[in-house]
Amino acid sequence: MQITQNAPRFSMHKFYSDVRDNSVSLAFQGIMSQEVLSLIALALRRRPDNEVLAKRLFGIVVELAQNIYHYSHSKSYSEKDKRDIGVGVITIGETANHYVVNSGNIIKAHEADHITKRCDFINTLDKEGLKEFQKQVRKEPQRPDRPGANIGLIELARRSSNTLGYNINAIDAETSFLTLSIKIDK
Amino acid sequence: MENFTIKGSTYIPTVNFDAATGILEMSGESYHEYTIEFFQPILEWLRKYLEEPNRNITFNFKMTYFNTSSSRRFLEIFDMLEDYKKHKNGTVLVRWHYKEGDVDMLESGEEYAEDVDIPFEFIPYS
Repeated sequence: MQITQNAPRFSMHKFYSDVRDNSVSLAFQGIMSQEVLSLIALALRRRPDNEVLAKRLFGIVVELAQNIYHYSHSKSYSEKDKRDIGVGVITIGETANHYVVNSGNIIKAHEADHITKRCDFINTLDKEGLKEFQKQVRKEPQRPDRPGANIGLIELARRSSNTLGYNINAIDAETSFLTLSIKIDK
Repeated sequence: MENFTIKGSTYIPTVNFDAATGILEMSGESYHEYTIEFFQPILEWLRKYLEEPNRNITFNFKMTYFNTSSSRRFLEIFDMLEDYKKHKNGTVLVRWHYKEGDVDMLESGEEYAEDVDIPFEFIPYS
């Protein structure tokens, strides 16, 4: 028997199954502000047994969230900031041996090539190579109209000690959906 | 010159720059969304402070977490201090405090120490 009344189009049942099957403990969609990050920090860093891991996990969330905040193609107006802020989605889940942090946001189609090349290159580097590459890029002049330091992806690879997982799906001729998947060993 | 202070919060660091003693201290966490804007007055104060030669400066670095965007701003600070040592006859020491066992924070400090020509002291606390 099916009982429906004012049924929403969003399926809570599918959402529930998806987050349960992937052991997602936290999912957030919208403006990933520093205030939201502070709350996530409170939840993630109650780990006195392994502070280093907890801080790495938090650092990964911060870099992914601030990528979305500054670079997502889909934006929402923030009253607080008085400007348009990038929106996207972040999930934090875990398997028996890993934590997995995923981020998803819309990008312009032409950015796909650069992101792919960057991730592929980063994934060829070992621990020492990542460190040297990050130091080198950090010294480069600030890019105009880009608030970040251009080392977020390298930081994700360093803090996670795993390769960057990524997936880019075309939405239409102008836009694509970028998923980054960062796995960190427990 | 006036002292420079910022009261920290969860995502901005506490800043205490004492003009008279030359003890400059930053502590807490830094993941402000707009780090360029946030660090602007800090760098501005420091630039003015470093105009006068022969100062004896101790930079007490007590940060417990900072994002990549902040890490770039800290490099700018260390670059300025290196410049001061080289060209303004300044004495500069960075005292890098890190929680015992926090290998990432220690490594961050070591990477700055490799990149700039100023002495770093690493001080674990429990």
